[in-house]
Amino acid sequence: MTEFYRQYLSVAVLIGAAALMFGAMLGAGRLLRPNRPQPEKFITYEAGSDPVGGWGQSNVRYYVYALLFVMFDVEAVFIFPWAVNLKSLGVYGLIEMAVFIIVLTLGLVYAWRKGVLRWA
Amino acid sequence: MTPPISTPSINWLAISPEIALAAAGVVMVMLRSVLRRRPITMPLCVVVAISGVVAAGAVEYRLWQVVDHHRAISTVAGMVRVDLFGIFLGVVVLGATLMTLLLSVAYLRREGLDAPEYLALVLLSAAGMLAMTTANDLIVVFLALEVLSIPLYVLAAFDRRRLSSQEAGIKYFVLGAFSSAIFLYGVALTYGATGTTSLTGIASFLAHNTLLDQGTLLAGIAFLLVGLGFKVAAVPFHMWTPDVYQGAPTPITAFMSAATKAAGFAALLRVFGVAFPLYRADWRPAVFALAVLSLVVGSVAAVVQTDVKRMLAYSSIAHAGYILIGFQTATSRGREAALLYLFVYSFMTVGAFAVLTVATRRGDDRHSLDDYRGLALERPIVGGLLIFFVLAQAGIPFTGGFIAKLEVFSAAAQAHQYVLLVIGVLAAVVTAYFYLRIAYTVLTPGEETSSAKPLETPRRVDVWSGLVLVACAALVLVVGVVPGVFVHWARDATFLL
Amino acid sequence: MTRLANPFPGGDPLFNHGLDLTVIGFVIVKTLIVFGLLLVSVLLYIWFMRKVIADMQNRIGPDQAGPFGILQTLADGIKLFFKEHSTPARADRPVYLLAPFVSALAAFLAFAIVPFGGIARLGTHTTFLQLADPPVGVLWLLAMSGIGVYGVMLAGWSSGSKYPLLGSVRASAQVLSYEAAMGLSIVGVLVHTGTLSTRGIVLQQTWQNWHSFVSQWLWLPAIGAFVIFLIAATAETNHPPFDFSEAEEELAGGYHIEYGGIRFAIFYLAEFMNMITMSAIAVTLFLGGPSGPKLGFLNQGGWVNVWIVPVFWFLLKLWVVLYATVWLRASLPRLRYDLLMDLGWKVLIEAAFLWAMVTGVIVVGQDQHWNLWIVTPAAAVAALLVYGFLMMCVPGKRELEDIR
Repeated sequence: MTEFYRQYLSVAVLIGAAALMFGAMLGAGRLLRPNRPQPEKFITYEAGSDPVGGWGQSNVRYYVYALLFVMFDVEAVFIFPWAVNLKSLGVYGLIEMAVFIIVLTLGLVYAWRKGVLRWA
Repeated sequence: MTPPISTPSINWLAISPEIALAAAGVVMVMLRSVLRRRPITMPLCVVVAISGVVAAGAVEYRLWQVVDHHRAISTVAGMVRVDLFGIFLGVVVLGATLMTLLLSVAYLRREGLDAPEYLALVLLSAAGMLAMTTANDLIVVFLALEVLSIPLYVLAAFDRRRLSSQEAGIKYFVLGAFSSAIFLYGVALTYGATGTTSLTGIASFLAHNTLLDQGTLLAGIAFLLVGLGFKVAAVPFHMWTPDVYQGAPTPITAFMSAATKAAGFAALLRVFGVAFPLYRADWRPAVFALAVLSLVVGSVAAVVQTDVKRMLAYSSIAHAGYILIGFQTATSRGREAALLYLFVYSFMTVGAFAVLTVATRRGDDRHSLDDYRGLALERPIVGGLLIFFVLAQAGIPFTGGFIAKLEVFSAAAQAHQYVLLVIGVLAAVVTAYFYLRIAYTVLTPGEETSSAKPLETPRRVDVWSGLVLVACAALVLVVGVVPGVFVHWARDATFLL
Repeated sequence: MTRLANPFPGGDPLFNHGLDLTVIGFVIVKTLIVFGLLLVSVLLYIWFMRKVIADMQNRIGPDQAGPFGILQTLADGIKLFFKEHSTPARADRPVYLLAPFVSALAAFLAFAIVPFGGIARLGTHTTFLQLADPPVGVLWLLAMSGIGVYGVMLAGWSSGSKYPLLGSVRASAQVLSYEAAMGLSIVGVLVHTGTLSTRGIVLQQTWQNWHSFVSQWLWLPAIGAFVIFLIAATAETNHPPFDFSEAEEELAGGYHIEYGGIRFAIFYLAEFMNMITMSAIAVTLFLGGPSGPKLGFLNQGGWVNVWIVPVFWFLLKLWVVLYATVWLRASLPRLRYDLLMDLGWKVLIEAAFLWAMVTGVIVVGQDQHWNLWIVTPAAAVAALLVYGFLMMCVPGKRELEDIR
C-alpha cells in the first residue's frame, strides 16, 4: 500500500464507522417502533386529498441548468490544477487561463442571451 | 521565484489552421451575443466564417511550403505532426468546408434557418477535422474525434421542425457516442499494452520490444478500427449513414460525406500506418473484410433505394470500400490511391449534394426519385450537373472518378490483392447501374397527371451555390483530364514517417 | 501574503513508517472522536439555533429538557425512534431505503478533511488532528457535496409522490448551480496557497503574530472569494434564505415528506451536519483553521499548547460562523426561486471568475516582483472592463420577455 492510499485509510475506516452507525440507528428504529399497517397509511401524501394521477412532472428548465452545470464543473477540472500551480506557470499560465475563461464566459453570455438563464 | 513547470514548446504556425477556424467560430458566437438579432448579424457571420476558412487555407499553403523543405513539423511535445499527408487532407477538409458554407447561405435563407450558430458549428467541426489530420497521439485523435462529432450531432438535427432531421440528430448522437466510447477503450487497451499513446512512440516501442501477450494490443487495435470505421461509415458500422444522410440538412450531408470521411480516413491511415505497421498481418485481414463488406453492401443496397439522398448515402459507403482497398494494401502506392480517391470523392459528393440542395424546394424533404423526374428537361444546367456528378461517381472516363478508381485498382493489383480487385470491379458495375438509373430518371419527362410536382417552378440558382457547383464540376473534370499533377501531389503526401 | 513552506508535503506523517496496529488504532480513535464531535455538535447546534432565534424573537425557546433545555434535541431524537413509519405503496423500495443512508454518509465523510487541531506527538508517532489529509483535499468536499445531492434526488424520486419530486428537483438544481460558484470561489484560495490539501492550506495560515490575522489568514487577501463562498455554502446546504427544497409553505416539507420516524431524523441530521461541515471548511479555508495565538506563559511545546489551544481556536471560530448562520436564518426571508438562480448564475459565477483572475495576476506579479501598486489597479480595471463588456452583451429584462 503506497503513501497515497494510506491517506485514505482513515476515510475507509470512517466509511465503515458511519455505515455501522447509521445502520444501527435504522436497525434500532426497526426494533423499537410499532407497526400497525392500515391501507390508508400507504397512500402517497397529497396535502390531505386522495392522490391524482400516477406521476409528477417538473419544469424542463431544471434540465437545462443541469447541462450548464456539467459544463462549468468540467471547466473547474481545468481551473483547479492551474490555480495550484499558478506560480510555476507564471505569465504564460495567466494568459492561457484568461483566454480560457473569456471563451467560457462568452458561452455563458451566449446562453444567457438565448434565454437559457430565464426562469419560467 | 518558483521554478517554472516545463511547458511544451509550441510551433504556432503549425496549429494556426485549427486556431483560425476555432477563433472564427468563437467570434461568431460573440457577434450573435453582442449584435442580438440585427439584420447585419448573419451576413457579418458569413464573412467571418469564410474568412476563417480562407485564413486557414492560406496557412495550409504556407505550411505546405515549409514542410516541403524541412520535412515534417512535430510540435506540442510531439502530439501534433504536420506533414504533407496532414496538409493534403487538411486542404480537402477545408475545401469541403468552404463549399458547405457557400452552399448553406442560400439554403439557410430558403429554409428559414438563418442562424450564426450553424456556421459556427460547421467551423468548430472543421477545426476538429483539421486537428485529426495532423494528430500524432491517440489522445489528440480522440479529442479531435469529439470536437468534430459533437457539432455534427447538432447540425444533423439543425432543421428541428423537420421530424427526419431530429431523428438523424438523435441517431447520429447515440451511435456516435457509442463509437467514441469504443474508440476510447481501444486507446486505453493500446496504452495498457505499450505504455504510450504517441503514435510514433507506439511504433518504436513495438519495434524494440516483443510482447509476450499480444491479446491486449490486438483487442486495442480492433477497437480503434471499429471506432474509426464508424466515422468513415464502413460496413458493418454503417447503420447510421442512410438515415443520417437522409435526415440532415442537405449541405450538412455534403459536409459529412466529404469532410468527415476525409478526417476519419486521415486518422485511420495515420494510426495504422504510423503506429502499427508491424502488426500489418493482423489488421489487414480485418480491413479486407471491411472493404469487401462496404463494397458489396454499399452497392447492392443502393440499388433498391428510391430516395436519392439515401442512394447517395449507400454510394458513399461503397466509396469508403474503395478507399479501404487502398488502405488495405498497406503500401505507399495504396495510400496514394486512397488520398487521391478521397480528394476526388469529396468534390464529387459535395457537387452531387449541392445539386440536391438547389434542385429541391423549400422544406428539403422531397428527394425521392420521382421528385427528380424530368429535372434535366426543365432545368438543363442543374440536371446536367447532377448527371455529370453521378456519372463521375460511377467512374466514367475523363472524370476524376475514373482516375481515382483506376489508381485504387492498380494499387490493389500491385499488391497482389486480386480478390479485392475483382470485387471492386464488380461493385463498380453494380453501382454504375443505379447511377445510370438516376441519370435516366432525370432525363425522362414526368407524367402529366402528377399534380404535386415539386420542381414545377424553376428558380434561379443563387451565385454562391452556382459557384460551388461550377467549382466542383471543374475540379472533377480537371482531375479526369490532367490527372498527373494531382497524382503527383497525392504521391508527395503519402510520405508518412 | 507570503507563502510558508509545508513541512509535511506527503500528507499525514502518521503513515510515514508503514502500517502497524498502533497506526490503525490511532485511526480508529480519531474516527470515533470525530464521530462524537460531529454528533454532539449537531445536537448542540440545533438547540443553540432554537434558543438564539427564540431570543431574537423575544421568546423563551426550549427550556424543559435539561438545564436551559439543552437536551431538547436528544429528547426529540429519542422520540423519533418510537415513531411508526410506513413506506408509501408507490415508492421504489430499495432506492427509498437507500436515500437517507447516502445523504448521511456523504455529510459525514465531508468532515473527514477538516483539520480540527494542531499537529500532535504521541510516543513515536506524529499525527495531524484531522481524520484524513488526501492530496486532493478540497476536492473531496466538492465530491461529497455532489454525492449528497444523490441522497436528496433519490429520496424525492423514489417516494413516488409529487411534492417530494418537486422539492428534490428544486434542491438539486439549486445545489448544482451554487456548486459551480463555490468551486470557483475556492480557486481564489488555491492561487494563494498553491496546494489542495486542507492541512497545507491551514499551515499557510499559521499564526506568527497579530499581523498574521490580516496578512496570513486568507479572509482578507481572498475577501471576494470569502464572500462568494459564504453565500454559495449557505445555498449549497439549503439553509435559509435559500431553503427551497423544504419550503414549508409551498411544498409542505420537500424531498423528505414521505419519510417518517428515524429515517426522517437521519435526513435532518445530515442537513445539519452539512451545515457544520461547510462552516468548518469556511474556517479552514479563510479563517486559519486551528491556528491562533498560543498561551505565552506556558511551554510552547507543552501539551496544552499542542493539544488544547488549537482545538479551542478551531471550535471558537466554528461557533462564530455557526452563530452567523443562525443569525441569517432568523433575519432573512426566503428568496424567490428565479432570483436564487439569477444570483447564482448571473452574479456569483462571473464574480468568482473575475476574482480568481485578478488574484491570479496579483500572485504572479508578486512572484515576478512587479510593482503591485500598478499591477493591482490595472488588473482590477481590466477585470471591470471585461465584466462591463459582458454585461453589455447580456439581454435586458424586456428582451428576455420576447424570447419564447
